[in-house]
Amino acid sequence: MRLAIPHQQRLPLAIAALGFLFLGLFLLYPLFNVFSASVLDGEGEKFTFANYVKILGRPFYRGAVVNTLAIGVAATFTTILISVPFAFALARLPVPGKAAIIALAAMPLVLPSFVSAYAIVLLLGRAGIVTQWLQSWGIGFGSIYGAGGIILVYTLTLYPYVLLPTMAAFKAVDVSVEEAAQSLGSSPRRTLWTVTLPIVIPAILAGGLLVFIETLENFGVPFVLAEDMPIFAVEAFKLFVGETAPNPSSAGVLGVLLIAMTSLVLLIQRRFLSSRRFATGARSAPPILRVGLGLRLLATAYCWAVVLLALVPFFAIVVLSFMEFRGPVLHPNFSLANFTALFERSTRPLLNTLMFATLAAVGVTLVGVPIAYVVTRMRSAMASLLDVIATLPFAVAGTVLAIGFVVSFNSGWLILTGGPFIMVLVYTVRKVPFAVRSSSAILHQIDPSLEEASISLGRSPLQTFGRILVPLMLGGILSGFVLTWVTIASELSATVVLYSGQWRTLTVVMFQALEGGGGGIATAAASTLIIVTLLPIAMLYRLVRRYELSA
Amino acid sequence: MTGIVIAGAARSFGTVRAVDGVNLTVGDGEFFTLLGPSGCGKTTLLRMIAGFCELDAGEIRFGAKRIDQLPAHTRDIGMVFQNYAVFPNLTVAGNVAYGLKARRIVAADVARRVDEALALVQLAGYGERWPHQLSGGQLQRVAIARALVIRPQVLLFDEPLSNLDARLRVSMRGEIRELQKSLGITAIYVTHDQEEAMSVSDRIALMQSGRLEQVGAPAEIYRNPTSRFSAEFMGTTNLIEARALGRDGNGMVSLRPEALRLGADAPADWPRLGGSVAHVEVLGPITRFDVRLGDGSLLKVATLDEPHRALAPGAPVTLAYDPARITVLP
Repeated sequence: MRLAIPHQQRLPLAIAALGFLFLGLFLLYPLFNVFSASVLDGEGEKFTFANYVKILGRPFYRGAVVNTLAIGVAATFTTILISVPFAFALARLPVPGKAAIIALAAMPLVLPSFVSAYAIVLLLGRAGIVTQWLQSWGIGFGSIYGAGGIILVYTLTLYPYVLLPTMAAFKAVDVSVEEAAQSLGSSPRRTLWTVTLPIVIPAILAGGLLVFIETLENFGVPFVLAEDMPIFAVEAFKLFVGETAPNPSSAGVLGVLLIAMTSLVLLIQRRFLSSRRFATGARSAPPILRVGLGLRLLATAYCWAVVLLALVPFFAIVVLSFMEFRGPVLHPNFSLANFTALFERSTRPLLNTLMFATLAAVGVTLVGVPIAYVVTRMRSAMASLLDVIATLPFAVAGTVLAIGFVVSFNSGWLILTGGPFIMVLVYTVRKVPFAVRSSSAILHQIDPSLEEASISLGRSPLQTFGRILVPLMLGGILSGFVLTWVTIASELSATVVLYSGQWRTLTVVMFQALEGGGGGIATAAASTLIIVTLLPIAMLYRLVRRYELSA
Repeated sequence: MTGIVIAGAARSFGTVRAVDGVNLTVGDGEFFTLLGPSGCGKTTLLRMIAGFCELDAGEIRFGAKRIDQLPAHTRDIGMVFQNYAVFPNLTVAGNVAYGLKARRIVAADVARRVDEALALVQLAGYGERWPHQLSGGQLQRVAIARALVIRPQVLLFDEPLSNLDARLRVSMRGEIRELQKSLGITAIYVTHDQEEAMSVSDRIALMQSGRLEQVGAPAEIYRNPTSRFSAEFMGTTNLIEARALGRDGNGMVSLRPEALRLGADAPADWPRLGGSVAHVEVLGPITRFDVRLGDGSLLKVATLDEPHRALAPGAPVTLAYDPARITVLP
């Protein structure tokens, strides 16, 4: 009897089925509920566009759309402006300390951006330290609240998204292409503009789009800095808090609009960028250019200035957390009072943060790695569909997904609201795209014939997955796990919607302290968060170093 | 040790018929080669036997046992891959022991059999090395040892030598052939290299567009190609109209370059052709030259190196051919 499903497809199909089930229940179903809330009337019965008309009829919310997009475009532009020369300097100019610069430049990716925003307020805000010091000299400057401050923080925290891929692209340029241009009579400067830059433009744009999407979804930075200025993710949260959970029609409208915007950007990216990849297939990195001392000093100063400026806010927060606050007012005395105040009340938030991040990182790995296996090893419409759905969380702001979860799982057969697992599940779903991307990248480098060799030697596909693929992927899985863990530990946008009672996290403590004006506790929580973030990264770094030395 | 029977095997990918109704019987202990250009279906057919490609129709048997519906890992096959597929996370010994451990062989036997297998492929003492410390040729030996050590019913080779340099290819193919014969395991070997196929095989199946073009011993296919494709793929040949040689019929004939000689060297009863030298290549052991005939057609000729004779382009020349070595094509 001929069986319907071929043997070699049973394992991927089983994984795909589980993947669809998980993402269907914990991604598509909540999103569907957000969508249906936005198109139902007050009783939740009739289909209507009245909610959209109502929200978009108000100048305040139209302003939110315009502000969010304008800030996003501006921040994308400034990050590109800063990062491209930086990337070129790292790839092609003789700048000392490159390894250190690259390590430091990657740090803003894992450090929580709203902590940077808060530090900017403490330094440059109305009662900020720098502001007051300058005022004592009679110097004033414009307000950092509103669009300017938000763009500044986005630029300082998101620039690595453009820097790192652009640097890789500059290094991948086949130098013989440049030599060809120069042998045809093009000056080095003209070659840079007409040959080298066009080759790296896709990488710049890809990074820029990541920045843009991050700004659309970001909740913490505008929450700290926007003040009266309406910003999408913040207003969606405020509307939701003011509405009844079963039918958050207005928040639903904002959520749907936000998803529509990010999806549109992603679609544009897929459509226009995927076909424009100018891989020149360089065998070795292009040589470092010989430049004069002046340019060399300038490039060095520039690279270090950007890297350090981006980290100053985090450094400032750590320093400030050891100073004395009286209410919001800061006194320059060393004190452990902030930490005592933070942990005296409860160590639960810290423990919650560690526990949630660990559980969710395990979840992300267990969901993401098998899905990546299906997506890379099966060529079928079903695998592509799974790929698209697994990428979808990337286009969904944390606030929106969290609202969907509250609407979906506050009654019925599966009640999650009020417990810890709702947060773990939302974190897991949100980070699945990153795990799938990074695992796919590793799997693409593992020749499928290794699996076939193992199978032909008598191991079943499942045993082969465990004995060959997992060991080969282990390094990548481990670093993916740490990165996921770290970003989850500082997650804010979904957490503020979902936390309840005893299940507060460090980010919630900070968020509440900010609302209540408790600057001391906020800085202590922020410092703790920075340490919690950097410790695993440092451990991973050491582990990788040792592994590389032994191999 | 088993013979293999393939009956009506077929597989399509979209509208492409990768394997289109193949019937084949491979004898017990035979070294059988699937030969053809890329895209001819030879690799698909091999992967069907290995269990990595489903059949749309037909069946495959090892001896009396039908295996095409068995999961790949239960088929008891040793397979050697083009890119070696040596597990980079295991030592050489770990690689060779992999299939034995999957069969739950006791540890003492595993160690002994691994050593034997490594000695067989001339890698004795390499057990503790890591794959990244080995050369391409050594990696392929590890892959062969790993496939042999499980004493499979059938050995499959998927272009195992194509990643090696030319000299190593020649010496390795001899080793593979010797190992297979000494162990007596039925082997199916896939290659696109006609010379390699002729050197190792007991029989060859020449494939084109998913079908078997011709099956037979290497010399038989070379000397008696049954089609224009066979004649052209198995080495160099002259395809000419029978009438150009002054023969009856409208068909094409195949005339191998080495069946032509200069008129002065040929037996008197060989037919003569007149022409002029168009191009000469001295390749070392042999000299190839093209001769343009009176009707404008070009004949390729190959002779052993003859230092005393100088052929210059443009010189008039008389050729003779062996009438017994003409193959009339349908």
